[in-house]
Amino acid sequence: MTDPKPAHTDAELRRTLAEFSVPSEPGKERLAMQTVAEAVRDLDFRAENLERLKTAVAEATMNAMEHGNKYRAEVPVEIVVLIEDQDLMVRITDRGSGPPPSQGGDTPDLEAKLEGMQTPRGWGLFLIKSMVDEMSISGDDGHHTIELVVHLGAEGGM
Amino acid sequence: MAVRHLNVEVRLESAVAVLDLMGEINGFAEEALNTAYAEADAKDTKTILLNFEGVDYINSTGIALIVGLLAKARASHKRLLACNLSEHYVEIFNITRLSDFMSVFPDEESAVVEASVS
Repeated sequence: MTDPKPAHTDAELRRTLAEFSVPSEPGKERLAMQTVAEAVRDLDFRAENLERLKTAVAEATMNAMEHGNKYRAEVPVEIVVLIEDQDLMVRITDRGSGPPPSQGGDTPDLEAKLEGMQTPRGWGLFLIKSMVDEMSISGDDGHHTIELVVHLGAEGGM
Repeated sequence: MAVRHLNVEVRLESAVAVLDLMGEINGFAEEALNTAYAEADAKDTKTILLNFEGVDYINSTGIALIVGLLAKARASHKRLLACNLSEHYVEIFNITRLSDFMSVFPDEESAVVEASVS
């Protein structure tokens, strides 16, 4: 992992809290979620909402490692944590090619999975969408970025 | 941050086969989880209890592994229960609807009592 850069201000209403990368290796998503958690610790998140953010970051990082970077360890997943106005944003970028993946995230059909009619997998995007206020995916020929947005409330966090 | 590979111990508690899960439930956990489930299944109880007390991380691959265990339990007409999940993972079991098919208890004692009366 590259060292997180110290927080700095890009513009009056935008503040970068952390910028780092992790190698595309199974398990490294925990490093990503822990680093994001440390970056936002001064935002006074409620514990349950911090756990939701951590899960969303872990799942989005896993998707980037698996689908974008094909688990090539030398290809990093880049992560930026920033605040803009009243939104906390986490941008997770891989080196995937082609059109950005589907936004997906429909509720998986658990009955069909239990009956063996669908793979038991396929929970990642659904979990991400369930854990944050907004999620979007964008990309160009060489990169895909998933952006997670949490609206910061007036009571100090979410 | 090193991965905490899953370790599972299987024991019998009042006619319930209990799987004590310790570590992370992710892609690395598949073999340990399935081996332990097979051991619990062989104890020939009607109920198998997953004890999550020692688990601090479950990812979407881990959810898929749990779905697989639930499918096995349903196929063999056994009840699969869960206990000692953190509040966060109770929420995840609710939104994934796992808790519709697998009763979730706050602790082992209440799960075992429920298993013994039903």
